[in-house]
Amino acid sequence: MNMVNHMNKRLDTFLELSVALTGFDRLHLISTGVGPEYLAALDDIISTAGADALLQAFSTLPATDDGTLLVGTILDDATLGPVARNLTVLWYTGTWTQMPEAWRAANAHSARDTAHVVSAASYLAGLQWSAIGAHPAGALPPGFGSWALPPLGVEA
Amino acid sequence: MIVSRQFDVVIVGAGAAGAITAKRLTEAGLDVLVLEAGPASPKTIKGYDKHLQTFYTAYGKGPESAWPANTNAPQPDTADARYNDGYFVQHGPDTYGSSYTRAQGGSTLHFLGVSLRMLPEDFRMKTRYGVGRDWPLGYDELEPYYRKAETEMGISANVEDQGYHGITFANGYDFPMERVPLSYADQKLGAAVDGKPVTIGSHTAALRIRSYPAARNSMPRGSYVPVGAVDMHDDGQQIDPLMGGRCQGNTACTPICPVQAKYHGGKSLAKAKQQHLEVRAQSVASKINIDPVTGLVSGITYKRYDENGHTTHEAKGRAYVLAAHAVENAKLVMNSNIGVDKDVIGRHLMDHPTLYAWGLFPEKVFPYRGPLSTAGVEDLRGGPFRSQHAAFRFDIGNDGWRAPTGDPDALVLREVMKNKRFGKALREQVTATLSRQVRMSLAVEQLGEPGNRVTLDRRFLDPLGNPRPAIHYKISDYTLKGMLAAREVSKQLFRHAGVEDFSDKGDAKWFPSVQYGGSTLRYHGMGHFGGTHLMGTDAKDSVLDLNQCCWEHPNLYMIGSGSFPTMGTSNPTLTISAMAIRTAEHLIKEFGARV
Repeated sequence: MNMVNHMNKRLDTFLELSVALTGFDRLHLISTGVGPEYLAALDDIISTAGADALLQAFSTLPATDDGTLLVGTILDDATLGPVARNLTVLWYTGTWTQMPEAWRAANAHSARDTAHVVSAASYLAGLQWSAIGAHPAGALPPGFGSWALPPLGVEA
Repeated sequence: MIVSRQFDVVIVGAGAAGAITAKRLTEAGLDVLVLEAGPASPKTIKGYDKHLQTFYTAYGKGPESAWPANTNAPQPDTADARYNDGYFVQHGPDTYGSSYTRAQGGSTLHFLGVSLRMLPEDFRMKTRYGVGRDWPLGYDELEPYYRKAETEMGISANVEDQGYHGITFANGYDFPMERVPLSYADQKLGAAVDGKPVTIGSHTAALRIRSYPAARNSMPRGSYVPVGAVDMHDDGQQIDPLMGGRCQGNTACTPICPVQAKYHGGKSLAKAKQQHLEVRAQSVASKINIDPVTGLVSGITYKRYDENGHTTHEAKGRAYVLAAHAVENAKLVMNSNIGVDKDVIGRHLMDHPTLYAWGLFPEKVFPYRGPLSTAGVEDLRGGPFRSQHAAFRFDIGNDGWRAPTGDPDALVLREVMKNKRFGKALREQVTATLSRQVRMSLAVEQLGEPGNRVTLDRRFLDPLGNPRPAIHYKISDYTLKGMLAAREVSKQLFRHAGVEDFSDKGDAKWFPSVQYGGSTLRYHGMGHFGGTHLMGTDAKDSVLDLNQCCWEHPNLYMIGSGSFPTMGTSNPTLTISAMAIRTAEHLIKEFGARV
């Protein structure tokens, strides 16, 4: 497998994992544009090996998994679980949360493992806003008077 | 010391008060120098956008997050209150929770934009209720200036909504722009509670969810042209600041309106007659100099800084207007050791101590959209109870529980980390909870009391050698009783609407607190400083006359909410602006217009 294919496959697995964690579909996650940035953040903060371990564990799960195996294999795992949960929060908020103390004591991590907004783009891409038909505060405004009506695309 | 040429008027501070004064004076052909302690960065689109980017990447996104402090012109931050490790040296016993910003445009860069007139009774608290003080002028005298301020700031409202508690308008008048549409949540709440009674003690009032006058561009009336983003360059170039678009619903009035559809002081500066105006940013006034023979101010010493250090200057004018903020004005006067009565200056510090009330509406109301708020409850701003306890008003947020709990981020953290949710179940939980969130701010009146004061703490000097302000602050029983009453009314309102009240349940952020009547009242500041250099009718117990002119030094003026003898329940900026226009017209009459 050449390098480009490897990177594509890696991002592909990362997006599938992200779909399972966030409850948003693949198209939505791709449209945010921040998927590659988040994978790079994992590589940077948790290490490439740590990110690979997470992706590897996910790729062993059958596509038919209803979440049960995701919990058993990843979310309940002392090493992988906290990373997966941090990644979920990152997708929803655009903010990296410092890994739990116990995890930090047991695993390698970079100096970037502090609470921080990954980038302006990550803030704007937070899924929490789309979940409620809103928009990130200070950006992507829906236009004058739109707030007088319920938002489109969210069930009342 | 580099001494400036002679100006007609030297103004200290380029916030709303200073900017509006400068605009009026330059329009009359008077030469004006404005000294601004902070940076000029917000005056260009490019500079302003950097502040927006700062906000996007800020962790926590507090009210000041777009406007970071400057070493040479330090400023308070609401986050400092918790450990008392900020610009203010807080002596207690209670914590003063408010902040302000030192930059060109001032704290209007991050104010909410609520632009209420004060009630006629607010000007007559002593006469009417036997508490506080009377103003040296009344509502009727200020009414024409309120109209001028509403035009200057670009206020959106309908007169038909605003005539309550004795507020009157000139015949045929309406605001320059139509009211900002009420949010979907406001409408749902209004449908549930409008006309319903609330009771405090023996007083009953009927609730109404009411649009408030907002300094945000809406649909213009008549020939009014909304003012938008400013872009002033050092070579004199500027885009036409008349191209003002409407509010787009960015839900970020505080800390930064990305499109400048909300008023800030920089808009008035941009519209001043530039040939009569000089603005010097990064120029911190440190001393008022008095001519010992005449008693007049002869100059203001200031330090102008850049990345290489600073130089010392003296600004010369015929009159001097301190518009640096209630705390900074008092600080400058005290630091100068001039003839102002030391038993009055800095005292009577006020704020609107504010409680949050938050809950879940029975159906989805879709917050986190629209201006940060569009409506309030004004029905308890006045009434006979004011002889016993403070009045209050509610601001109804359009930003869910962001302010009290840190949601939506805090909710996501809670659901993912604590409740172990993921996937569709997480998404559904986030949607179901955030969509029903309702929040009100219960802002309570505070009277000026001599013990609540600003002093100087010379143990702490900033890099330019200016002392830090020390705050002595205690919330009196009068206000505490008002806070309890406000809490009680908020509970009644929530009951009428079927809102499940979460105000006393966990998961709130840290706030200062005070114990009263068996309750813990967790409050925050509203940024509504007042009273530090108050106006009055007698030099013995006030600093200024009704023209905001200093009793002891007749060419020295102090403007802003530091001049207010009482604050009522209004957010102060509109009244600050009205009073600034009145004082500017007084100066123009004194000096004679040159146009």
